Amino acid sequence: MSELLPFAGETLLVAEFWLWQFLGRLHPLTVHFPIGILVIALVLELYSLRKKNRELRGGIHLLLLIGAISAIAAVLFGLLLKTQDQYSGNVLTIHQWSGIATALLALATAILHGHIIRKNNIHLFKTYRTILIFTVISVTVAGHYGASLTHGSDFLTSVLPWNNDGFNSDFDIAQFTAGEGKPALDASQAADLNLEVRSIFAHNCYKCHSSEKMKGELRLDKKVFVMKGGESGPVITPGHPDESEMIRRLELPRDDEESMPPKGKTLKEKEIATLKFWIQMGAPWPENADEKTVYRVAKLEPRMPALPRAQQDLQNPVDLFVDAYFKENKITWPEVVDDRIYIRRVHLDIIGLLPIPEKVDAFVKDNDPDKRGKLVRELLDRNDDYAQHWLTFWNDALRNDYSGTGYITGGRFAITDWLYESLKVNKPYDVFVRELISPDKRSEGFIKGIEWRGAVNASQRVEMQAAQNVSQVFLGLNLKCASCHDSFVSDWTLKQAYAFANIFSDTALEINRCDVPTGTMAGTGIIFSELGTIDSTATVDDKLEQLAEYLTAPKNGRLYRTIVNRIWSRLMGRGIVAPVDLMDNVPWSQDLLDWLASDFVQNGNDLKNLIFTIATSKAYQLPSVEIKSEEKVLADDYTFKGMHRRKLSAEQFADAVSFVIYPVYHDTLKVFDPFKKSKPIVSTPQVRAALVKNDRFLTALGRPNRENVLTERASEANLLQALELTNGDLFNSALESGARKWKSQYKTSEEIILSVYEKALSREPEPDEMKIALDRLGSTPNEDDIEDFLWAVMLLPEFQLIY
Amino acid sequence: MNSTWSRREFLQKASAATMAALAAGMPTAGLLSSCGKNKIKSKADTVILLWMAGGMAHTDTFDPKKYTPFEKGMQANSVLSTFKSLPTALDGISFSEGLQSIGSVMNLGTIIRSYVAADLGHILHSRHQYHWHTCYEPPQTVAAPHIGSWIAKELGPKNPVIPAFIDIGQRFTVGEAEELKAFHTAGFLGNEFGPFFIPDPSTGLESVKPPVGMSYERFERRNQLYNELISKSPVGEFGSDYQKESLRRSMEQAYMLLNSPEAKAFDLSKEPKESYDKYNTGRFGLGCLLARRLTEQGARFISVTTEYEPFKGWDTHENGYTRLIDMKKQIDVPVAQLIKDLKETGHLDRTLVILASEFSRDMMVEGRPGAKVKEQVDQPDVIHELKHYGMHRHFTDGCSILMFGGGIKQGFIYGKTSDERPCKTVEKQIKIDRIHQTLYHALGIAEDTNYVVEERPFYTTPDGKGVAEMELFA
Repeated sequence: MSELLPFAGETLLVAEFWLWQFLGRLHPLTVHFPIGILVIALVLELYSLRKKNRELRGGIHLLLLIGAISAIAAVLFGLLLKTQDQYSGNVLTIHQWSGIATALLALATAILHGHIIRKNNIHLFKTYRTILIFTVISVTVAGHYGASLTHGSDFLTSVLPWNNDGFNSDFDIAQFTAGEGKPALDASQAADLNLEVRSIFAHNCYKCHSSEKMKGELRLDKKVFVMKGGESGPVITPGHPDESEMIRRLELPRDDEESMPPKGKTLKEKEIATLKFWIQMGAPWPENADEKTVYRVAKLEPRMPALPRAQQDLQNPVDLFVDAYFKENKITWPEVVDDRIYIRRVHLDIIGLLPIPEKVDAFVKDNDPDKRGKLVRELLDRNDDYAQHWLTFWNDALRNDYSGTGYITGGRFAITDWLYESLKVNKPYDVFVRELISPDKRSEGFIKGIEWRGAVNASQRVEMQAAQNVSQVFLGLNLKCASCHDSFVSDWTLKQAYAFANIFSDTALEINRCDVPTGTMAGTGIIFSELGTIDSTATVDDKLEQLAEYLTAPKNGRLYRTIVNRIWSRLMGRGIVAPVDLMDNVPWSQDLLDWLASDFVQNGNDLKNLIFTIATSKAYQLPSVEIKSEEKVLADDYTFKGMHRRKLSAEQFADAVSFVIYPVYHDTLKVFDPFKKSKPIVSTPQVRAALVKNDRFLTALGRPNRENVLTERASEANLLQALELTNGDLFNSALESGARKWKSQYKTSEEIILSVYEKALSREPEPDEMKIALDRLGSTPNEDDIEDFLWAVMLLPEFQLIY
Repeated sequence: MNSTWSRREFLQKASAATMAALAAGMPTAGLLSSCGKNKIKSKADTVILLWMAGGMAHTDTFDPKKYTPFEKGMQANSVLSTFKSLPTALDGISFSEGLQSIGSVMNLGTIIRSYVAADLGHILHSRHQYHWHTCYEPPQTVAAPHIGSWIAKELGPKNPVIPAFIDIGQRFTVGEAEELKAFHTAGFLGNEFGPFFIPDPSTGLESVKPPVGMSYERFERRNQLYNELISKSPVGEFGSDYQKESLRRSMEQAYMLLNSPEAKAFDLSKEPKESYDKYNTGRFGLGCLLARRLTEQGARFISVTTEYEPFKGWDTHENGYTRLIDMKKQIDVPVAQLIKDLKETGHLDRTLVILASEFSRDMMVEGRPGAKVKEQVDQPDVIHELKHYGMHRHFTDGCSILMFGGGIKQGFIYGKTSDERPCKTVEKQIKIDRIHQTLYHALGIAEDTNYVVEERPFYTTPDGKGVAEMELFA
């Protein structure tokens, strides 16, 4: 016993001594005294205030004394308790300090009150009463946070009908218990009940009790293990919930060492009730039940929903579905954005470049009611500009780059040539996918993966990389967990992952579990076996051909939902399903997603046509939506109201700077030349950033190392990026050269300011802006001032955002 | 603009602690949410990693064996150490000749003589370096963060105007650059926590001052113009969109850094000549000096590298003996001086300095005994020329690590390698997850720290299994 003070230093010693442990556990008992007593003291005080009743003085004093003493005791016990269990966090901090404050305030109140009684010092009454009120406020706060610690922060609020967050199901045991007498379950009811129970286990218990972790030697993922129990014996006693260890543990107070789950949220009452009911019914677990899923799996087959009835001002089918969605969510259509915003938006979204000012003016003046549709068509027809913009997205997704790991040892192959051409000719998407999965030399890089020298973890051999990446990119499915062990976040098993990887392998792979060989094999098959059977005896080339055929078959609705959702997300800032790589998540409009996918297939897998449909929809033309925090984008209660504001990508930003000011990249830096065989149809004066190697500037702005598949880049700005834009060489030299150019081209400051605003922001400066800029540039601007003005405009959020 | 000036004045007056508190209140980026419940009391606030890139032979540096001087016609197998052993400040502990200065400060630190690198098969330096810096073997299904990024993410900057993760000396201009880039990254934690590179310490100031040729006065006016244009821009109608906010916030941070008094720390010309000269053994030595100056101003994680270049530096495929004379000159005095200076200013108490390499080298064994891997070095069995005299093969079964400060024991020896070939670890084998968790532990980062990425929990050490070696702490 070298340490007594729980505050100081190592606290482990304290925890080991039984007496401190015992006293610590008195905390939950003692805390209730000050709460009750101090509140009663205040009530009596208020009562005496009204009635001017002096008879209560003695009683109040006694209450205050007991309140103060018990509060101090509770604090001491509480501090001891803190040392024994690993309590931490904000809630604890607030609880601790409000508890200490309560004790001190209560003591002060008691002393003051004693003084008042003894000396009859009436003018101190006001002070005393104020402190008493604060004491009670303080004890309320401490009590509330204490309860949060013990029962979970949502203990109180979770029962409110509007606060049903987290894992939820419509399941209600009332469906079984309604009616007279003891219910008996038929087979299908037993199966439903069992499924519900397993969902509860999966969402609350698998983290520690499944094939990966077996805390207390308990597994809850298979019937046999659940029935067997853990190291301290059976966890359920069929027919007797009250005798079941599991229920006992679940219902223990949160501060009990044996309480389950040991951290995080407790089970909801409804969930515990379901488990109890299940045990009471004899814990039914049908033999084939383990095959039934507990996770949501999106339907595989395509579906063409009926179009909602057309409306006067809505023709685009997208809008009809959105209209239905808006009605359901009581959202009224806002006005669409003006021409200037629209032309800037579609330029950046379709070809990644800013519009030229003359074009903006002409577009605004154009009276053609179909001018927006025509503009989109025209942009989509700029094949090279389109290809150079979308190259970036596909390079990220297919982890294709001009440099990167693997090349050094001949363990990686670029597909840029093939990719560029495919985008330029707008290759139908099914063909595009087929050529990547069943490739020739030009497109084999994607499934060949990245091979490092030396011995590699089994879950990262190139065949498994292929299985993971094909799943992620084309099917929006995460096979990464399952390639090491049976997944805990989906139903995918290790065996399925290996069967899928075997398609890419010339010899069947031995299953490795967490990099340890198991001596078993998996066979060969597609993760969605209903798509077709792969001939395991065929050559790799033949197997890949079969796979490509099956995956791109129209009946594989998942492939098409995944791509239309990706394109939607590119243009709107968030997918109909989000994140875009988890296509089993719930879409905000299943009808819209299904229609887009089916329509896409019916129109020949035409990506440009898909983009046209979305970009000409009213939904796309709505004012951009303000998002207060990134978390909101993926929140469960997300509601679609229009496209999100997005930051320009690294490439878009570099290209925009090149366009407005001065080329950031010289021709010599181009590592891929799309025009080596042919003359460009639409020439852009600068080398676009998609065609150069990654560098410090682009990295800072968010271009990734293309070592892993990446389908959405992080969108928030950060310090490293700001530093690069403040004093980075590349950017500043473009600004410097730009300043020289502008100085020589324009005579007056007004001309410069006007021109920069028109080119950079597709609008004229407001009078205020003109004034500020003129103040700075003077009548005859020097190069430094022009450079600074250019810098300031390039850094405006208005320039850096797609809105 | 009044606000900029007042902010500047405020910054100059505010203590680092106040600013750190402010920074802590700033909204942090990302959707990742940290899990992990254990709380540890920290022993250190700062980590300096001195990286001996290329594989530093333990037997010719911090764990010398029997000296076998060069003789024509000697058996390669007979060579154990190519240098004499000289005593250090610790009784009974000797270092290889040329490391006397570091030897003289060993009373302030711990030497680990039993680091065992992973068996990754046919050796690729960058792959072992990736493993050392991230604790994960490449390739990985998600981009693994550098240890500096983990620390930056968990603790943030110590002084808000000094980037949390500073990397000194790495240029990426030479072989395996792409492989090196693959781990000099914050990975899934996001760019925000990535390294701030200072490729050349002698021009470190350029990274944190206005662009070349721009006076501070003009820089100030430029920023003022920016703020005025923003305030008048109709972009205001975008309200408090997080994208817009993050742009503005990041620009303000950059402005603060470039305008802060702390930026002077990056300027080595401000160092007294006598001190500068001590450190000036080249880029690495000056890197140590810069690391010291930044530590004094509140850096969080700094890596200083001798820089990996295939067949150069510590990567001795031939001429091992002569090349090591040179390498020792580069590191000996600056490393010792760094420790002494930090000790003198009191910073060593809360700064953990660690010197390490991806693996060791040996004359005979490529890989490790029992798991030899594909040969890469042509090493004759009988040595006739000096160029064949040295530790030229890659050895993974025993490697030395030095640690100083940040609660680490003083004058302590951990682990042991055999005195006879193979000079492999024979006591207290320690691996990378333990090393990492020891560093995290010193900083108060719990072993169960993890983020869920692509639905899987990704821990600071694989599966969160790294356990701190408590024996290393005082």
